Amino acid sequence: MKPLTVNFRSKAAMTLADAQIQQSIEHVYTGFYKGRLTAAGDTPDWEDLRTKGKAIKDHTIAHLDYYLGLLADNVEKNGGSVFFADDAEEARRHIIDLAHKRKIKTVIKSKSMVSEEMGLTEAMNDEGFETVETDLGEYIIQLANETPYHLIAPAVHKSRADVAKLLDEDYKDGDRVPDATELTMMAREKLRGVFERADMSVTGVNFAVAESGSIALVTNEGNGRMSTTVPRVHVAVMGMEKIIPSIQDLSTMLRILIRSATGQRISTYVTMVNGKRRPEEEEGPEEFHLVILNNGRQKLLEDPQMRESLNCIRCGACLNACPVYRKVGGHAYGWVYPGPIGAIVTPVLTGLKDADNLPAASSLCGACHDVCPVKINIPRMLLELRYRTAEGSTDKDERTSSATERGIWKAWRMGMMGRRRFDIGSRIASIALKPLSRNGWLTKVPPPISGWTSTRDFPAISMSSLKSRLRKRNEGSK
Amino acid sequence: MADRATFIAGVTAGLGRTEVLLPSSITETASFEDASAAKAKADKAATDASERSNELADQMAEEATKAGWKVHRASNTEDAASYVASICVQKKATSVLRSNHDALDQIGVDAAVTNTGATLEKTEHSGDYSQDQIEVSKSKAFSADIGITGVDYAIAETGTVVLHPRSGLSRLVSLAPPTHIAVLRSGEVLDSLDELFAMERNDFMSGELAGSMNLISGPSKTADIEGTTVTGIHGPLEVHLVILADS
Repeated sequence: MKPLTVNFRSKAAMTLADAQIQQSIEHVYTGFYKGRLTAAGDTPDWEDLRTKGKAIKDHTIAHLDYYLGLLADNVEKNGGSVFFADDAEEARRHIIDLAHKRKIKTVIKSKSMVSEEMGLTEAMNDEGFETVETDLGEYIIQLANETPYHLIAPAVHKSRADVAKLLDEDYKDGDRVPDATELTMMAREKLRGVFERADMSVTGVNFAVAESGSIALVTNEGNGRMSTTVPRVHVAVMGMEKIIPSIQDLSTMLRILIRSATGQRISTYVTMVNGKRRPEEEEGPEEFHLVILNNGRQKLLEDPQMRESLNCIRCGACLNACPVYRKVGGHAYGWVYPGPIGAIVTPVLTGLKDADNLPAASSLCGACHDVCPVKINIPRMLLELRYRTAEGSTDKDERTSSATERGIWKAWRMGMMGRRRFDIGSRIASIALKPLSRNGWLTKVPPPISGWTSTRDFPAISMSSLKSRLRKRNEGSK
Repeated sequence: MADRATFIAGVTAGLGRTEVLLPSSITETASFEDASAAKAKADKAATDASERSNELADQMAEEATKAGWKVHRASNTEDAASYVASICVQKKATSVLRSNHDALDQIGVDAAVTNTGATLEKTEHSGDYSQDQIEVSKSKAFSADIGITGVDYAIAETGTVVLHPRSGLSRLVSLAPPTHIAVLRSGEVLDSLDELFAMERNDFMSGELAGSMNLISGPSKTADIEGTTVTGIHGPLEVHLVILADS
């Protein structure tokens, strides 16, 4: 998927101006946010679980090379095959070649953010395979020809009328709007036929267990189960960081993932797959393929300041908690991963130069850090990326601040560091800005400061400083 | 294409090392216990399940209801059988599938279902595992009205039913038909996910890990349209849990 991070400001402005989208996204995020809060509150050892989850992920990432080898060995031992892909193009090519070789007609996709990175659905459709998203939200998004709005609720911005138009070609504006149940049943009917004829599935991976070569999939709808049961070829795609060491770690990781994602204590279905169908089994795939993707994660790994972001288990809790994400929406972030986690991962994966607005779009309130099930310190990394764009990066392209801006701040810094310079500077500023102030406020100032005053006022600088006022008062009392 | 060795060497370099460093120990997580520790945990889980069977069955009934199961506490096998029959009648079922579980034979599910006029089939191949045969049973599962299974375990913490697909236990029987009935016997209920994964790990350490495992907690559901929860999207719309008391 091509990053469109450079459009952050215009996309955000569009969402902010759309009252209907504002209402529907607020409703859903509040639901998720409160659900998570209640679920965490009802779990007495919640903080211990987070600590344990962080320890498991820290350990795994610190030994990622070892665990990747162990996982690959065990998947092969179970009769599966493993493909390591450096980038999205390589992974996509491999899956498409496989589908051609096996003479596949219909591919069912179960929700996977990594396959979004690959732009897989579109590419497979272009190659002539009937490729259908089966998570209801993803299915709606596919029909609308859009990208997911949220990690867990991809179609959160679509109203019932929008969905009705997509599912029923006879539906017209002004018709009675079907309720959510009716719409869901329409989708069920359409997708049943697809499941029955599918001969290949592509699923994501919530956790890959290194010691046993297993993958765990979490769904509420049952599409994950269909995908691991019906087609004769099952392809699972994962980012290389999605590993946990042992089977027992699943009980910790599932608990924190599911509570953080939807506020449920468990999702309707948790499926653990240990490779292809066993000889004595009634059904199941004849082939199991695991595709492990790097696609820029190397840069997160190599960067000690950013490595912690590889702990992410893609629950979406930071999105629901983020006051900025809740207003600007998922599409503004311009790539697969939106919200606070997207604001730190996307710039590194797709280039900080075009994505410099992402880490800037945060109030640094820290809500994302508070809710993260593996305690990723997102605000620290937002600040780090801001520092790089302002002056820290040695790459001239990444340092997106202008020479003028840097010059102004340099002068500011100098002015603030000496008493005399400060006195003189503030005196000059108060005189220079006097003609522009109205009733003690600066409301319209020429560039470059207009960036501030176009959306909010700035208090005018007082003609007399606190120091001089105090001096006067002290003289008077003598 | 990235071959495995090159890919992993890249990760090693990314970690700032020149060769793979074996993890020493994971004290905080107890991830890698040895076989005897795994066995001790699994044994304890099994003992608990039988010693605290009444208490765990009560908790299971409560949590399963919250998860969306329609729970029926059956005092004896006749009671269980007549409940299953009543669902067949209520759903006007004509074709019913069942798995090969002892609990179903124990309650006499075959007679109960066929007496309602529905046909009942076991999801068990007679040794023919060809792709053609698999296609036949697949289309049977997609057209069946009800699927009936036993359970391998249940989990009281979350109201979850656990199934390990195998010979005689199709993955689809609890998934494709619009109604699923699961029959659980007291003594099969585990406390929490910890106990389940301790037992799975023990199976793994002793080379007996099943091909796959499904945890089912209520009916299939989605909230992808305007955040409204709707039951029944790809899996069953309605799920029944029969809890059979100790005889």
